[in-house]
Amino acid sequence: MTKTLTTGNHAIAQAAINAGCDGYFGYPITPQSEIGEFMSKKMQELERAYVCAESEIAAINMVLGACSTGAKAMTSSSSCAVALMQESLSYIAADELPVVLVSVMRAGPGLGYIYPSQGDYNQATIGGGNGDYKIIVLAPSTVQECIDLTYKSFYLAQKYRNPTILLADGLLAQMMEPVEFNEYPYPEISIEDWALTGAKNRDSRAIYSLGPQEDRLVERVETLFNKYKQIEENEVEFEEYQTDNADLIVTCFGSIARNVKSAINQCREKGLKVGMLRPITLYPFPTKKYQELAKTTKKFLTIEMNMGQMVRDVRLAVNGQVPVEFFGKSVGQWLSVEDIAAEIERLNS
Amino acid sequence: MTEKNVVIAGFGGQGILLAGEVLANALMLDEKNVTWYPCYGAEMRGGTVNCEIVTSEDEVSSVNKQDADFIIALNQISFDKFLPKLKAGGWVIANSSLVKEIKSRIDINYLFAPITALANELGEIRISNIISLGLLAKISKLTSVDALHKALDNVLPEHRKNLLALNLKALEMGFNFSLAPATAC
Repeated sequence: MTKTLTTGNHAIAQAAINAGCDGYFGYPITPQSEIGEFMSKKMQELERAYVCAESEIAAINMVLGACSTGAKAMTSSSSCAVALMQESLSYIAADELPVVLVSVMRAGPGLGYIYPSQGDYNQATIGGGNGDYKIIVLAPSTVQECIDLTYKSFYLAQKYRNPTILLADGLLAQMMEPVEFNEYPYPEISIEDWALTGAKNRDSRAIYSLGPQEDRLVERVETLFNKYKQIEENEVEFEEYQTDNADLIVTCFGSIARNVKSAINQCREKGLKVGMLRPITLYPFPTKKYQELAKTTKKFLTIEMNMGQMVRDVRLAVNGQVPVEFFGKSVGQWLSVEDIAAEIERLNS
Repeated sequence: MTEKNVVIAGFGGQGILLAGEVLANALMLDEKNVTWYPCYGAEMRGGTVNCEIVTSEDEVSSVNKQDADFIIALNQISFDKFLPKLKAGGWVIANSSLVKEIKSRIDINYLFAPITALANELGEIRISNIISLGLLAKISKLTSVDALHKALDNVLPEHRKNLLALNLKALEMGFNFSLAPATAC
């Protein structure tokens, strides 16, 4: 297949179109505005829906509405604007709607700056909405993965009728890399038994989150958590690199993994036994894999472009079996291969 | 092949990002792994702009490195800013129409070429970016004029394809520029 050179933003947008996205609703914000720009042209050419909403809150609620009719719909945004969507994400989870949200991280807190960052791990995996709910979160580390995981986001959202976040960052969104646009590889999931498609020849339906008059909330939350259990059992994905006999396992997610891999190669050449584990699904988190590796390795080192967020999940998974160290930096220049290699050597000495 | 990286820098409007995109495309056509990363911040026309291209036979690791193997500086500010980033033994290609020929480091190779003046010879000042790619192809051997030409065909939109012939001339002009003034370290 021929390769094309494209940015992460354009890769995500084109992949969403290939996945059959019927409607895009969004509001511009750097570093992901090119997704909306691309969609504004292509969606109209394809006679699909594109709306530049009046705010991020409007955008996510438009996606909620579109998805309730069985449409494949998405929005994309960044950090401080994804913060505005948290209330709706809780409603979307409660309503069990297959919403796809592309979250391209920039630096925070607050308005922050447009530099790349990984500061929204907690925002994506824990979230700021109310109540017991979980969102599937996928984290690409190359432009090709931006395509593959956009496909997967649409598939998992439909399969589990659950909001799904593709968590990228400003570096991945802005950089170009050669990619192959393979076709959408997943089966289509029927929406017949739940979507609001008009009640002709069937009973009417309603999609809503429960109010105080309802007595079925316990049952409803239990149903949700049975679904989450299925997701945790079936959908964990990770990349393992040189972990055989590794005394130290470096763990990271997203684009910093590129630098980590290089640092590992350098350290391996010096004879250090070091490997990498990269969660691709941040929820469901590869807890079992960490527990398995904790039996053979001596130490984990979590590397993030934030002040330490995923490291909590790593520590929960490892549960004190071996030490879990952290090395990170919040914004701007990515940790260099040299910085990471030096930290690995320091921990090995 | 170990990783090699090129920083292209100049004024906004000189086609810096486009030159980088053409180079990255050429390397892709050469079946190498490649990344293109723009400086992005509050940039504007007339301000400074740069992009970095990293290429390797293996997976590309860091897309934004602390040092560089090759630097193309199309204006003075970029020359001053990026010269310290150049690796010992690396090459800087500087546009001597806009950059003073001062060699402040003795551990690097300089290629001063009047790129803006050469572009004016072709009757199109905006093509200095493509001339600089011809110069880069010659001294770096990272890619060829042929691949760059094909890359231009990939990058140029349909309504600009009429400029392909001029762009090929610019590539060849850069590639055939006499290297005599260059000083090898």
